[in-house]
Amino acid sequence: MSDLLKSLSVSASGMQAQSARLRHVSENIANADTPGYHRKTMSFEELVIRSDHTGQVKPGPVRLDQSDLTRIYDPGHPLADDSGHYDGSNVDLVVEIADAREAQRSYEANLRMFDQARQMTQGLLDLLRR
Amino acid sequence: MFEKLEILKLAHGMATHAATRQSVLARNIANADTPGYRARDLPSFAATYHQRPDTFDMRETRAGHLVAATGRTPPEIGQIVRGAETAPNGNSVSLEVEMAKSAETQAQHDMALSVYKSTLGILRSSLGR
Repeated sequence: MSDLLKSLSVSASGMQAQSARLRHVSENIANADTPGYHRKTMSFEELVIRSDHTGQVKPGPVRLDQSDLTRIYDPGHPLADDSGHYDGSNVDLVVEIADAREAQRSYEANLRMFDQARQMTQGLLDLLRR
Repeated sequence: MFEKLEILKLAHGMATHAATRQSVLARNIANADTPGYRARDLPSFAATYHQRPDTFDMRETRAGHLVAATGRTPPEIGQIVRGAETAPNGNSVSLEVEMAKSAETQAQHDMALSVYKSTLGILRSSLGR
């Protein structure tokens, strides 16, 4: 039974990590039109407590995508320089949507595993009933 | 409680194996996007059940023999690393494969519990209750 309880917490950590990732994606999408915004990227890593591999996952440090910002031509914009351009963000909506879908898929997979471990625990407890 | 009954021990071992495998699969799915993570798995229950520690138990040496029921503990379950195909970030987890395996694991767990339950039912009816 301790294995099942452990898998509950592992799945929960997976869901937590995926929702953190979804949060960054929505921050990127919300700031898609903010001038000078660099998109945030994050990676996952395994949670190690006192050199013990727990198998749980945790969101890694947030990094900024250092690729070039898009130059947008709009002479009327208050931030526009002499040539009439200003720096937009480097968010690509298609990439963000794809990332969001991937996060959703992984989240659902974790949820299924959580539910299944719960059902198995319930089955064990049902043995006590007549 | 009924450790002397081989079938209960078998059901116990099978349920334990399913639970352990479930936790390994949950770990794979949680780390489905972790760079450099390699998917892990357990050998099947049938394979681990026949690996027995070297003791002075009776052994079945011919097909018709029954398995000795003395002093058998469920063998230590070792993990195997699976999946040669990796994503560009070095991760070898495939969600589809993991889901299929976890369905299999749940079926195995259900079967073990059913065996346990019906054996207890037989014991109960032999007691006349």
